Amino acid sequence: MLQSYTYGDLENFRKKTGIKTPSSDEEEPRRMTSRRRKKFRIFSKGDGLDLTFFLLVIGILIIGLVMMFSASYPYAYNKFGDSYYYIKRQLIFAVLGVAIMFALSYFDYHHLHKFAAPALAVAWLLMIAVLIMPSSGGEDEPKRWLELGLFRIQASEICKFALILFFANWGSIYYAKMKSFKFGVLPGIVVLGVTGLLLYLEPHYSGIVICTLIVAVMLFLSGVPIKFFAIAGGAAAGLVAIMAVTGMLTYAMSRLDGWGQALEYTTPDMWQTTWQTRNSLYAIGSGGIWGLGLGQSRQKYMFLPEPQNDFVFAIVCEELGFIGAAIILILFALLVWRGIDICRRAKDKFGTLLGVGLMAQIGLQVVLNILVITDFLPNTGISLPFFSYGGSSLIMLLAQMGIVMNISRSSVIEKQ
Amino acid sequence: MGDKVLLGIKNRARVLVFLILLVGFGSILSRLFYLHIIQGKELSERAVDQQLSDTAVSAKRGSIFDRNGNTLASSASVWKVILAPAYFENDKQREYVSEGLANILGISSSDVLEIAKKTDSYYQTVKRRIESDERDKILDFIDEISDRYERLASVIVLEEDYKRYYPYNDFAAAVIGFTGSDGQGLSGIEYQYDSYLTGTPGRIVTENDGWGTAMPFEYQQKEDAKDGNSLVLTIDETIQHFLEKYLKQGIIDYKVAEGAVAICMDVKTGEILGMAVENSFDLNDPYEIADETARKELEKLSGTQKEERTNELLAKQWRNKAISDSYYPGSVFKVITASAALEENAANLNSTYFCSGSLVPYEGEKEIRCHNTAGHGSQNFAEALCNSCNPAFMMIGQSLGPEKYWEYFQSFGFNSRTGIDLPGEATGLFFSPDGSMGPVDLAIGSFGQGVSVTPIEMVTAVSAVANGGYAVKPYIVKQILDADGNVVETTEPVIKRQVISEKTADTMAQIMEKNAAEGTAKNGYVAGYRIAGKTGTSEKIGQSRKAGQTDYIASYCGFAPADDPQIAVLVYFDTPTGEAYYGSQVAAPVFASIMSEICPYLGIEAQYTEEELEYIDTVAETYLSMGVEEAINAAKADGFEPYVCGEGDKVIAQVPQAGSKIPRGGRIVFYTTSDSTKETVRVPDLVGYTVAQVNEVAAEYNINISFSGSVDLDTVYSYAQSIAPNEIVSPGTVVTVYFGNDDVDDTVM
Repeated sequence: MLQSYTYGDLENFRKKTGIKTPSSDEEEPRRMTSRRRKKFRIFSKGDGLDLTFFLLVIGILIIGLVMMFSASYPYAYNKFGDSYYYIKRQLIFAVLGVAIMFALSYFDYHHLHKFAAPALAVAWLLMIAVLIMPSSGGEDEPKRWLELGLFRIQASEICKFALILFFANWGSIYYAKMKSFKFGVLPGIVVLGVTGLLLYLEPHYSGIVICTLIVAVMLFLSGVPIKFFAIAGGAAAGLVAIMAVTGMLTYAMSRLDGWGQALEYTTPDMWQTTWQTRNSLYAIGSGGIWGLGLGQSRQKYMFLPEPQNDFVFAIVCEELGFIGAAIILILFALLVWRGIDICRRAKDKFGTLLGVGLMAQIGLQVVLNILVITDFLPNTGISLPFFSYGGSSLIMLLAQMGIVMNISRSSVIEKQ
Repeated sequence: MGDKVLLGIKNRARVLVFLILLVGFGSILSRLFYLHIIQGKELSERAVDQQLSDTAVSAKRGSIFDRNGNTLASSASVWKVILAPAYFENDKQREYVSEGLANILGISSSDVLEIAKKTDSYYQTVKRRIESDERDKILDFIDEISDRYERLASVIVLEEDYKRYYPYNDFAAAVIGFTGSDGQGLSGIEYQYDSYLTGTPGRIVTENDGWGTAMPFEYQQKEDAKDGNSLVLTIDETIQHFLEKYLKQGIIDYKVAEGAVAICMDVKTGEILGMAVENSFDLNDPYEIADETARKELEKLSGTQKEERTNELLAKQWRNKAISDSYYPGSVFKVITASAALEENAANLNSTYFCSGSLVPYEGEKEIRCHNTAGHGSQNFAEALCNSCNPAFMMIGQSLGPEKYWEYFQSFGFNSRTGIDLPGEATGLFFSPDGSMGPVDLAIGSFGQGVSVTPIEMVTAVSAVANGGYAVKPYIVKQILDADGNVVETTEPVIKRQVISEKTADTMAQIMEKNAAEGTAKNGYVAGYRIAGKTGTSEKIGQSRKAGQTDYIASYCGFAPADDPQIAVLVYFDTPTGEAYYGSQVAAPVFASIMSEICPYLGIEAQYTEEELEYIDTVAETYLSMGVEEAINAAKADGFEPYVCGEGDKVIAQVPQAGSKIPRGGRIVFYTTSDSTKETVRVPDLVGYTVAQVNEVAAEYNINISFSGSVDLDTVYSYAQSIAPNEIVSPGTVVTVYFGNDDVDDTVM
């Protein structure tokens, strides 16, 4: 498992840290000299971070903040008597998150090797703590949040990152053995099993879905043969079926109620259950091609509950129309594409796996979120990156972007 | 390296990015495109639907006035109290608001609390139709709530509505009708003219947020409510009042079991000046059983039995007998038979008819008796009517023939509705000659038995005789006004056809006047007025209350003045159960009382005969503070007979008082000392005497007599007096004595 690093800086890194890193058999060092020369430049063609990616992150973040503000102000006023309640907090988190992002862009991601296993351990401990600690909601409310006085952290946000890091580390170390069941599949089943169990206990089914997808993406990237995915998919489907039959999924099933029927009136209870989804559809439909104009949403006036959270994009659609929504989605697509492109060209497998995993997570969340608000998937709590209100989520996201930026510094991509 | 990985990391990353972007983003973009563009219209309409609140604004229902502008029905604003429990955040707020509402509205707070616990609802009715004082208190309470809990500012909403008021309660109830809980007309004019009275509700469309309060967008569309039209009826409140007053008295006096009807109609135009239907009910509380005995009977019942009986009684009290009941008119119908016979020359004034007391109408049939079983002997045409002789009319009917009888039955309007603008009109019924009318049917039909008509048809037919032969269409709404009181529509009188010639009509009027003055109808006579009339008594065949018992209908139909008829009045008592049940005994005096008030009210000038002049009343002058001598002279000069009580030299009091009624030549008693005012007399029994006898007794007792009713001196007897015998009164007090005869007009088979 110990292999020598072939790149100069990695040699230095190894000497300094003593971390054992796998060697790459694919990449040749190309830009060592220029990198060293422009070490402290923020944006550069050498060791600077990728300007395109940076601008996309900042652009999406600003649009997200503006739209979250627009969507949240009637709700915030009604709930707290302060239209700025959410945007004030989100701005603080955004500033904090951007600072962390910059900091991490200078933090050599190879340090993260040694955090791989501990991070997952910490994530699991936090998820156990969430289950034990008194919940802010009622008895029946899901336990997802870690109350830390002034703010709270969603434990699964940490977990998602920990999974990516863990499997990036694992895949980069055991890349050659990933075809085997023992190295390629078993760790995935064990890690996902524990994570899934903890999320099931919260319960947080959308978390399970995202985590499963993340693990699948990571293992896929690491070279696990396709056939294993088919087998694992079949096994997962069987497991879900057994749980459903034995009544272990009653909460999840209750969330499925009314899925796809938000516009039809059946019973008063069902009408109430599908209220949020229905009003999301109303909002989207009201937007038409060009939208009602920024700030002109009607659905945010107490029709769409909690418009600052998962359903913020419905208000975006209402105010900016199909054109606006499509532009934002294209920006997201560019971000994902650029991020993955950068990381594909990272100079080692760890960088590629880590960066592509992080970008894939954003892409997946965007897709799942929009599918939920358009009633294509059942209404589960999947937030929209950079748009939905939530401090821990935003800071985690920006931190992850910082890591990708750091990867970009040493990436061989053509930077503008 | 054994088997190589299928794809390297970079390629796998490329596959991944394509999967996410093409499949993932492709699907969400197309999904959004579908919702925005394809389904957008439907979704945005539904969104607008929930964002806009469409509030109906009730239109004010039009008023109903009598012909002189007196309000018979009007609407006033009331409010509905709506609670929106969805705003409540906790039980403390619920209790606070419930208690406050319950205190103001006088209802139980636990009931309100129950409503307040319907947490999902924005619209719960707490109380309907509160009036302005309660509304003001609620408005104050709403302020109080909003001061205390900002979120509850719109937890209580007041919705404006209207309530119907009938200021005269049971007055003209059958005609006016009443409205239901939603303000829709359910009977009478309220029903018939509902579309005019209702108006058009307006609406206010506002943009609302999820809390039901206005959004910060400037969007409000208002469409004003158009208030309903008002109606001016042909009914004259005063005349209606006369009809109801005497009808009510008659029901008591003659123990009338099944109600009564009186209709007063303008014979020339068909305007209904009054239509009284008793048993009546309170329009402000139409679901309350008005009849006390029925109510008591109802209290003993329970369950479905009670429910059924209640519905039966309600249907009965709401029924407008004047247009919905058909009955055998009896001898009143002889007017029709006689008119037809004269017009067709089947009889003339010189025709004579011999009555032996009975007649066999057709060979092999049972004989039909006259009410005068001794027989009327030989009579001419007019005498036959005045005697109300059944055999004579059977002969007249025979000479008229079934076809002509049927023709006139139709043209007088008996087998079709009169078309009066009231709901629920029935039609008369008789055998038509093509097949079903037998000779016996014709015979009894000629004197009004076996032929069924409605009261409104009867009075309309008699009006045709009165107005010179024209069948007019009776109507009850004179004008339709808009909300500002401008006339929108005026009903024009409709003359349907000429039924008989003016000559025939004049002749009939003369005969009927004679009948009212001297004949069987003389109890309907009013001194000084040229009344024409005909009585009728009929058996309710097959409709008696109990088997084996005979119930009667007593009616009187007449008009005045006979030389230039203006009004026709029909009085109809259904089932008098006292000793008297003949039309001449029961209906005629009531008719006379009604006429004696209506004629002066309408300004029909009185023309007294010399004989009558002796007995008509005049007005007492004042002689107060005159010297005794002076007063005596003055009283004599005014045509009164003075009578002095006490030894004083000045008149300190007089009976009757100045301005009150006193018979011409009546006694005026002057009191000259305060002691003398204590002098009293006992009222004698004045019933059962002739006019002359009553005069004698009155002189003896030192009281004044006001004569009422027919004064055909030889044949009338007093049958009632206004102050009961043995009452202690002052000398000179005026006692009204009612005269009439107990001749019966006819009898039925």
